[in-house]
Amino acid sequence: MALPVNSDKMKEKNNKSQTDMRELIGNTLRIGVVTACTIALISGMYYLIRHGGEMVPDYTVFRKEPASFTSIHGIFGGLTSLAAKDWIQLGVLVLMLTPILRVALSLIDFAHQRDWLYVVITAIVFIVILMNSIVGVG
Amino acid sequence: MTILVFTLILLAGAYAAGLLGSLTGLGGGVIVIPLLTLVFHIDFRYAIGAALVASIATSSGSASAYVKEGMTNIRLGMFLEIATSIGAVTGAVIALWMPTNTIAVIFGLVLILTAVMQQRQSADHEHVKGSNLARKLKLFGTYPTKEGNQSYELTHVTGGFLTMIVAGILSGLLGIGSGVLKVLAMDNFMKVPFKVSTTTSNFMIGVTAVTSAVVYLQRGYIEPGIAFPIMVGVLGGALTGTQLLKRLNVSLLRKIFAIAILLVAINMIYNGFAGKF
Repeated sequence: MALPVNSDKMKEKNNKSQTDMRELIGNTLRIGVVTACTIALISGMYYLIRHGGEMVPDYTVFRKEPASFTSIHGIFGGLTSLAAKDWIQLGVLVLMLTPILRVALSLIDFAHQRDWLYVVITAIVFIVILMNSIVGVG
Repeated sequence: MTILVFTLILLAGAYAAGLLGSLTGLGGGVIVIPLLTLVFHIDFRYAIGAALVASIATSSGSASAYVKEGMTNIRLGMFLEIATSIGAVTGAVIALWMPTNTIAVIFGLVLILTAVMQQRQSADHEHVKGSNLARKLKLFGTYPTKEGNQSYELTHVTGGFLTMIVAGILSGLLGIGSGVLKVLAMDNFMKVPFKVSTTTSNFMIGVTAVTSAVVYLQRGYIEPGIAFPIMVGVLGGALTGTQLLKRLNVSLLRKIFAIAILLVAINMIYNGFAGKF
Protein backbone atom coordinates (compact mmCIF):
# COMPACT_ATOMS: atom_id res chain seq x y z
CA MET A 1 0.00 0.00 0.00
CA ALA A 2 2.94 2.26 0.48
CA LEU A 3 3.73 2.44 -3.20
CA PRO A 4 0.63 4.24 -4.57
CA VAL A 5 0.75 6.81 -1.79
CA ASN A 6 4.35 7.45 -2.58
CA SER A 7 3.73 7.84 -6.31
CA ASP A 8 0.81 10.17 -5.62
CA LYS A 9 3.09 12.33 -3.56
CA MET A 10 5.66 12.35 -6.31
CA LYS A 11 3.03 13.29 -8.83
CA GLU A 12 1.87 16.12 -6.61
CA LYS A 13 5.42 17.35 -6.20
CA ASN A 14 5.93 17.15 -9.95
CA ASN A 15 2.72 19.09 -10.60
CA LYS A 16 3.76 21.75 -8.15
CA SER A 17 7.17 22.20 -9.77
CA GLN A 18 5.45 22.43 -13.17
CA THR A 19 3.11 25.15 -11.93
CA ASP A 20 6.05 27.00 -10.38
CA MET A 21 7.94 26.83 -13.66
CA ARG A 22 4.96 28.12 -15.62
CA GLU A 23 4.73 31.03 -13.20
CA LEU A 24 8.45 31.75 -13.59
CA ILE A 25 8.39 31.60 -17.41
CA GLY A 26 5.20 33.69 -17.56
CA ASN A 27 6.62 36.32 -15.24
CA THR A 28 9.95 36.43 -17.09
CA LEU A 29 8.16 37.12 -20.35
CA ARG A 30 5.98 39.83 -18.84
CA ILE A 31 8.72 41.59 -16.91
CA GLY A 32 11.03 41.47 -19.95
CA VAL A 33 8.48 43.08 -22.25
CA VAL A 34 7.49 45.73 -19.70
CA THR A 35 11.13 46.63 -19.00
CA ALA A 36 12.00 46.79 -22.70
CA CYS A 37 9.00 48.98 -23.48
CA THR A 38 9.67 51.32 -20.57
CA ILE A 39 13.28 51.81 -21.71
CA ALA A 40 12.16 52.37 -25.31
CA LEU A 41 9.40 54.78 -24.28
CA ILE A 42 11.57 56.93 -22.01
CA SER A 43 14.49 57.03 -24.46
CA GLY A 44 12.02 57.65 -27.28
CA MET A 45 10.68 60.72 -25.51
CA TYR A 46 14.22 61.89 -24.88
CA TYR A 47 14.95 61.35 -28.59
CA LEU A 48 11.89 63.43 -29.52
CA ILE A 49 12.90 66.24 -27.16
CA ARG A 50 16.41 66.32 -28.61
CA HIS A 51 15.59 65.74 -32.28
CA GLY A 52 11.79 66.12 -32.64
CA GLY A 53 12.08 69.37 -34.59
CA GLU A 54 14.51 68.01 -37.18
CA MET A 55 13.39 66.70 -40.55
CA VAL A 56 12.78 62.95 -40.92
CA PRO A 57 15.77 61.05 -42.34
CA ASP A 58 15.10 59.48 -45.73
CA TYR A 59 13.86 56.03 -44.70
CA THR A 60 12.77 55.22 -48.25
CA VAL A 61 16.38 54.31 -48.94
CA PHE A 62 18.17 51.65 -46.91
CA ARG A 63 21.53 52.60 -45.46
CA LYS A 64 23.55 50.34 -43.24
CA GLU A 65 23.27 51.66 -39.68
CA PRO A 66 26.42 52.93 -38.02
CA ALA A 67 28.09 50.25 -35.91
CA SER A 68 26.83 51.89 -32.75
CA PHE A 69 23.29 50.54 -33.33
CA THR A 70 24.19 47.16 -34.71
CA SER A 71 26.62 45.68 -32.21
CA ILE A 72 26.30 45.14 -28.50
CA HIS A 73 29.65 46.83 -27.99
CA GLY A 74 28.48 49.82 -30.03
CA ILE A 75 25.16 50.14 -28.22
CA PHE A 76 26.78 50.10 -24.79
CA GLY A 77 29.41 52.58 -25.98
CA GLY A 78 26.62 54.89 -27.11
CA LEU A 79 24.90 54.76 -23.71
CA THR A 80 27.73 56.62 -22.02
CA SER A 81 27.61 59.36 -24.64
CA LEU A 82 23.86 59.80 -23.92
CA ALA A 83 22.86 59.22 -27.55
CA ALA A 84 19.07 58.82 -27.49
CA LYS A 85 18.98 56.29 -30.34
CA ASP A 86 21.44 54.00 -28.54
CA TRP A 87 19.18 54.01 -25.50
CA ILE A 88 16.24 52.98 -27.70
CA GLN A 89 18.39 50.16 -29.08
CA LEU A 90 19.06 49.05 -25.50
CA GLY A 91 15.28 48.63 -25.13
CA VAL A 92 15.25 46.53 -28.32
CA LEU A 93 18.13 44.46 -26.92
CA VAL A 94 16.28 43.80 -23.64
CA LEU A 95 13.23 42.77 -25.68
CA MET A 96 15.35 40.34 -27.70
CA LEU A 97 16.90 38.89 -24.55
CA THR A 98 13.44 38.06 -23.14
CA PRO A 99 12.67 34.94 -25.26
CA ILE A 100 16.33 33.88 -25.06
CA LEU A 101 16.14 34.01 -21.27
CA ARG A 102 12.93 31.98 -21.46
CA VAL A 103 14.77 29.24 -23.38
CA ALA A 104 17.59 29.27 -20.81
CA LEU A 105 15.08 28.92 -17.96
CA SER A 106 13.41 25.95 -19.68
CA LEU A 107 16.83 24.35 -20.02
CA ILE A 108 17.45 24.64 -16.28
CA ASP A 109 13.96 23.35 -15.54
CA PHE A 110 14.28 20.27 -17.76
CA ALA A 111 17.66 19.52 -16.16
CA HIS A 112 16.03 19.84 -12.75
CA GLN A 113 13.33 17.34 -13.83
CA ARG A 114 16.11 15.06 -15.17
CA ASP A 115 14.38 15.06 -18.54
CA TRP A 116 17.58 14.67 -20.56
CA LEU A 117 15.81 14.35 -23.92
CA TYR A 118 14.39 17.84 -23.47
CA VAL A 119 17.65 19.18 -22.07
CA VAL A 120 19.21 18.22 -25.41
CA ILE A 121 16.29 19.62 -27.45
CA THR A 122 16.35 22.93 -25.59
CA ALA A 123 20.14 23.11 -25.81
CA ILE A 124 19.96 22.75 -29.62
CA VAL A 125 17.56 25.71 -29.87
CA PHE A 126 19.75 27.74 -27.52
CA ILE A 127 22.91 26.99 -29.50
CA VAL A 128 21.25 27.89 -32.84
CA ILE A 129 20.26 31.33 -31.47
CA LEU A 130 23.68 31.84 -29.88
CA MET A 131 25.64 30.85 -32.99
CA ASN A 132 23.41 33.07 -35.05
CA SER A 133 24.08 36.10 -32.88
CA ILE A 134 27.82 35.53 -32.89
CA VAL A 135 28.31 34.65 -36.55
CA GLY A 136 25.64 37.10 -37.71
CA VAL A 137 25.36 35.48 -41.20
CA GLY A 138 26.51 38.44 -43.27
CA MET B 1 7.84 66.35 -42.09
CA THR B 2 9.54 66.70 -38.72
CA ILE B 3 10.62 63.71 -36.65
CA LEU B 4 7.98 64.56 -34.02
CA VAL B 5 5.07 64.48 -36.51
CA PHE B 6 6.43 61.34 -38.21
CA THR B 7 6.79 59.53 -34.88
CA LEU B 8 3.27 60.44 -33.74
CA ILE B 9 1.69 59.28 -37.02
CA LEU B 10 3.70 56.06 -36.86
CA LEU B 11 2.66 55.55 -33.24
CA ALA B 12 -1.03 55.91 -34.15
CA GLY B 13 -0.63 53.55 -37.13
CA ALA B 14 1.21 50.99 -35.00
CA TYR B 15 -1.50 51.20 -32.33
CA ALA B 16 -4.16 50.46 -34.96
CA ALA B 17 -2.04 47.59 -36.33
CA GLY B 18 -1.64 46.07 -32.87
CA LEU B 19 -5.35 46.43 -32.15
CA LEU B 20 -6.41 44.83 -35.45
CA GLY B 21 -3.74 42.14 -35.17
CA SER B 22 -5.03 41.14 -31.77
CA LEU B 23 -8.76 41.31 -32.65
CA THR B 24 -8.33 39.25 -35.81
CA GLY B 25 -5.67 36.92 -34.41
CA LEU B 26 -3.19 37.75 -37.16
CA GLY B 27 -0.47 39.27 -35.00
CA GLY B 28 1.15 42.67 -35.35
CA GLY B 29 3.91 41.92 -37.87
CA VAL B 30 1.61 41.04 -40.75
CA ILE B 31 -0.01 44.49 -40.60
CA VAL B 32 3.11 46.50 -39.77
CA ILE B 33 4.90 45.61 -43.03
CA PRO B 34 2.20 46.86 -45.47
CA LEU B 35 1.66 49.88 -43.22
CA LEU B 36 5.32 50.90 -43.39
CA THR B 37 5.99 50.00 -47.02
CA LEU B 38 2.73 50.83 -48.82
CA VAL B 39 1.58 53.80 -46.70
CA PHE B 40 4.86 55.37 -45.58
CA HIS B 41 7.06 54.12 -48.48
CA ILE B 42 9.72 53.07 -45.99
CA ASP B 43 12.35 50.66 -47.32
CA PHE B 44 11.30 47.00 -47.04
CA ARG B 45 14.33 46.14 -44.91
CA TYR B 46 13.48 48.70 -42.20
CA ALA B 47 9.90 47.39 -42.29
CA ILE B 48 11.12 43.81 -41.70
CA GLY B 49 13.24 44.97 -38.76
CA ALA B 50 10.34 46.86 -37.19
CA ALA B 51 7.92 43.95 -37.75
CA LEU B 52 10.30 41.56 -36.00
CA VAL B 53 10.48 43.84 -32.97
CA ALA B 54 6.67 44.08 -32.95
CA SER B 55 6.33 40.28 -33.24
CA ILE B 56 8.65 39.62 -30.28
CA ALA B 57 6.83 42.18 -28.12
CA THR B 58 3.28 40.96 -28.80
CA SER B 59 4.20 37.28 -28.69
CA SER B 60 6.01 37.49 -25.35
CA GLY B 61 3.36 39.78 -23.89
CA SER B 62 0.40 37.53 -24.65
CA ALA B 63 2.25 34.22 -24.18
CA SER B 64 2.87 35.20 -20.57
CA ALA B 65 -0.79 34.80 -19.60
CA TYR B 66 -1.38 31.55 -21.55
CA VAL B 67 1.70 29.86 -20.10
CA LYS B 68 0.47 30.57 -16.57
CA GLU B 69 -2.98 29.15 -17.33
CA GLY B 70 -1.34 25.93 -18.54
CA MET B 71 -2.85 26.25 -22.02
CA THR B 72 0.56 26.21 -23.76
CA ASN B 73 2.28 22.88 -24.45
CA ILE B 74 5.83 23.89 -23.54
CA ARG B 75 7.45 20.59 -24.63
CA LEU B 76 5.72 20.71 -28.01
CA GLY B 77 6.81 24.34 -28.42
CA MET B 78 10.40 23.59 -27.46
CA PHE B 79 10.63 20.59 -29.79
CA LEU B 80 9.19 22.46 -32.78
CA GLU B 81 11.40 25.47 -32.08
CA ILE B 82 14.32 23.38 -33.36
CA ALA B 83 12.57 23.45 -36.74
CA THR B 84 11.55 27.11 -36.65
CA SER B 85 14.91 28.42 -35.44
CA ILE B 86 16.86 26.46 -38.06
CA GLY B 87 14.32 27.67 -40.63
CA ALA B 88 14.70 31.26 -39.42
CA VAL B 89 18.49 31.13 -39.89
CA THR B 90 17.97 29.77 -43.40
CA GLY B 91 15.42 32.50 -44.17
CA ALA B 92 17.76 35.23 -42.97
CA VAL B 93 20.52 33.84 -45.24
CA ILE B 94 18.17 33.67 -48.24
CA ALA B 95 17.09 37.27 -47.58
CA LEU B 96 20.70 38.34 -48.17
CA TRP B 97 20.62 37.61 -51.89
CA MET B 98 16.91 37.67 -52.65
CA PRO B 99 15.72 40.98 -54.20
CA THR B 100 13.23 42.90 -52.02
CA ASN B 101 10.67 42.83 -54.83
CA THR B 102 10.63 39.02 -54.75
CA ILE B 103 10.30 39.14 -50.95
CA ALA B 104 7.31 41.48 -51.39
CA VAL B 105 5.62 38.98 -53.75
CA ILE B 106 6.18 36.11 -51.29
CA PHE B 107 4.79 38.30 -48.52
CA GLY B 108 1.67 38.90 -50.62
CA LEU B 109 1.20 35.16 -51.08
CA VAL B 110 1.55 34.55 -47.33
CA LEU B 111 -1.09 37.25 -46.76
CA ILE B 112 -3.50 35.43 -49.07
CA LEU B 113 -2.90 32.17 -47.19
CA THR B 114 -3.52 34.06 -43.95
CA ALA B 115 -6.84 35.45 -45.17
CA VAL B 116 -8.01 32.03 -46.37
CA MET B 117 -6.96 30.27 -43.14
CA GLN B 118 -8.85 32.90 -41.13
CA GLN B 119 -12.16 31.65 -42.51
CA ARG B 120 -11.70 28.08 -41.31
CA GLN B 121 -13.61 26.57 -38.43
CA SER B 122 -11.58 25.72 -35.37
CA ALA B 123 -11.49 22.05 -34.40
CA ASP B 124 -10.79 20.48 -31.03
CA HIS B 125 -9.73 17.10 -32.46
CA GLU B 126 -11.18 14.87 -29.78
CA HIS B 127 -10.25 11.15 -29.51
CA VAL B 128 -7.08 11.46 -31.55
CA LYS B 129 -4.95 8.31 -31.41
CA GLY B 130 -1.42 9.55 -30.77
CA SER B 131 1.56 8.24 -32.72
CA ASN B 132 4.49 6.37 -31.19
CA LEU B 133 6.97 9.12 -32.01
CA ALA B 134 4.78 11.69 -30.29
CA ARG B 135 4.58 9.42 -27.24
CA LYS B 136 8.35 8.96 -27.14
CA LEU B 137 8.83 12.71 -27.36
CA LYS B 138 6.36 13.18 -24.47
CA LEU B 139 4.26 15.58 -26.53
CA PHE B 140 0.86 14.57 -25.14
CA GLY B 141 -0.64 17.02 -22.68
CA THR B 142 -3.65 18.46 -20.96
CA TYR B 143 -5.32 21.84 -21.19
CA PRO B 144 -7.85 23.60 -18.97
CA THR B 145 -11.48 23.75 -20.14
CA LYS B 146 -14.67 24.75 -18.35
CA GLU B 147 -15.21 21.08 -17.44
CA GLY B 148 -11.75 20.66 -15.96
CA ASN B 149 -8.48 19.49 -17.50
CA GLN B 150 -8.85 17.82 -20.87
CA SER B 151 -6.07 15.48 -21.98
CA TYR B 152 -5.12 15.07 -25.64
CA GLU B 153 -2.81 13.06 -27.89
CA LEU B 154 -1.28 14.06 -31.18
CA THR B 155 0.15 12.53 -34.33
CA HIS B 156 2.11 13.20 -37.61
CA VAL B 157 5.14 14.65 -35.85
CA THR B 158 7.33 14.56 -38.97
CA GLY B 159 4.83 16.42 -41.15
CA GLY B 160 4.35 19.04 -38.46
CA PHE B 161 8.11 19.41 -38.02
CA LEU B 162 8.70 19.92 -41.76
CA THR B 163 5.92 22.52 -41.98
CA MET B 164 7.55 24.30 -39.06
CA ILE B 165 10.82 24.54 -40.99
CA VAL B 166 8.92 26.35 -43.78
CA ALA B 167 7.27 28.58 -41.16
CA GLY B 168 10.72 29.41 -39.79
CA ILE B 169 12.12 30.22 -43.26
CA LEU B 170 9.21 32.58 -43.99
CA SER B 171 9.61 34.15 -40.59
CA GLY B 172 13.31 34.80 -41.18
CA LEU B 173 12.68 36.06 -44.70
CA LEU B 174 9.71 38.34 -44.00
CA GLY B 175 10.12 39.32 -40.36
CA ILE B 176 6.70 38.02 -39.39
CA GLY B 177 5.78 35.46 -36.74
CA SER B 178 4.25 33.05 -39.35
CA GLY B 179 1.55 32.23 -36.83
CA VAL B 180 -0.69 30.98 -39.64
CA LEU B 181 1.74 28.29 -40.75
CA LYS B 182 2.50 27.33 -37.17
CA VAL B 183 -1.17 26.80 -36.43
CA LEU B 184 -1.53 24.95 -39.76
CA ALA B 185 1.27 22.57 -38.73
CA MET B 186 -0.13 21.84 -35.29
CA ASP B 187 -3.86 21.99 -35.96
CA ASN B 188 -4.10 20.39 -39.41
CA PHE B 189 -1.17 17.97 -39.34
CA MET B 190 -0.58 17.05 -35.75
CA LYS B 191 -4.25 17.28 -34.66
CA VAL B 192 -3.48 19.42 -31.63
CA PRO B 193 -6.60 21.05 -30.09
CA PHE B 194 -7.14 24.51 -31.57
CA LYS B 195 -6.60 26.51 -28.40
CA VAL B 196 -3.39 24.65 -27.64
CA SER B 197 -2.22 25.21 -31.25
CA THR B 198 -2.79 28.96 -31.17
CA THR B 199 -1.28 29.55 -27.74
CA THR B 200 1.71 27.30 -28.40
CA SER B 201 2.24 29.06 -31.74
CA ASN B 202 2.19 32.38 -29.91
CA PHE B 203 4.65 31.05 -27.37
CA MET B 204 7.03 29.99 -30.17
CA ILE B 205 6.87 33.21 -32.19
CA GLY B 206 9.14 35.11 -29.77
CA VAL B 207 11.98 32.59 -30.14
CA THR B 208 11.55 32.26 -33.93
CA ALA B 209 11.54 36.03 -34.37
CA VAL B 210 14.53 36.58 -32.11
CA THR B 211 16.59 34.02 -34.07
CA SER B 212 16.32 36.17 -37.20
CA ALA B 213 16.32 39.46 -35.26
CA VAL B 214 19.86 38.85 -33.97
CA VAL B 215 20.98 38.70 -37.60
CA TYR B 216 18.94 41.67 -38.77
CA LEU B 217 20.09 43.82 -35.86
CA GLN B 218 23.67 43.33 -37.01
CA ARG B 219 22.72 44.04 -40.62
CA GLY B 220 21.20 47.36 -39.60
CA TYR B 221 17.55 46.53 -40.41
CA ILE B 222 16.41 47.68 -36.96
CA GLU B 223 16.36 51.49 -37.09
CA PRO B 224 15.70 52.98 -33.62
CA GLY B 225 13.67 55.91 -34.98
CA ILE B 226 11.17 53.47 -36.53
CA ALA B 227 11.44 50.60 -34.04
CA PHE B 228 10.53 52.71 -31.01
CA PRO B 229 7.07 53.99 -32.12
CA ILE B 230 6.26 50.58 -33.68
CA MET B 231 7.18 48.61 -30.56
CA VAL B 232 5.29 50.89 -28.15
CA GLY B 233 2.30 51.40 -30.48
CA VAL B 234 1.76 47.75 -31.46
CA LEU B 235 2.05 46.55 -27.87
CA GLY B 236 -0.41 49.20 -26.67
CA GLY B 237 -2.86 48.26 -29.43
CA ALA B 238 -2.52 44.55 -28.65
CA LEU B 239 -3.27 45.16 -24.97
CA THR B 240 -6.42 47.12 -25.85
CA GLY B 241 -7.39 44.37 -28.28
CA THR B 242 -7.16 41.65 -25.62
CA GLN B 243 -9.48 43.66 -23.38
CA LEU B 244 -11.97 44.30 -26.23
CA LEU B 245 -11.96 40.63 -27.27
CA LYS B 246 -13.67 39.68 -24.02
CA ARG B 247 -16.68 41.84 -24.89
CA LEU B 248 -16.86 42.01 -28.68
CA ASN B 249 -18.08 39.53 -31.23
CA VAL B 250 -15.37 39.75 -33.85
CA SER B 251 -16.63 37.32 -36.50
CA LEU B 252 -17.95 40.10 -38.77
CA LEU B 253 -14.78 42.13 -38.25
CA ARG B 254 -12.71 39.09 -39.23
CA LYS B 255 -14.67 38.67 -42.48
CA ILE B 256 -14.29 42.33 -43.43
CA PHE B 257 -10.66 42.19 -42.52
CA ALA B 258 -10.02 39.08 -44.62
CA ILE B 259 -11.16 41.04 -47.68
CA ALA B 260 -8.96 44.00 -46.72
CA ILE B 261 -5.99 41.64 -46.33
CA LEU B 262 -6.64 40.18 -49.80
CA LEU B 263 -6.61 43.69 -51.32
CA VAL B 264 -3.35 44.51 -49.54
CA ALA B 265 -1.90 41.20 -50.76
CA ILE B 266 -2.78 41.96 -54.38
CA ASN B 267 -1.26 45.42 -53.97
CA MET B 268 1.94 43.91 -52.56
CA ILE B 269 2.23 41.34 -55.33
CA TYR B 270 1.51 43.93 -58.05
CA ASN B 271 4.08 46.38 -56.64
CA GLY B 272 6.58 43.55 -56.29
CA PHE B 273 6.23 42.53 -59.92
CA ALA B 274 6.35 46.18 -60.97
CA GLY B 275 9.66 46.50 -59.13
CA LYS B 276 8.51 49.30 -56.85
CA PHE B 277 10.29 48.18 -53.66
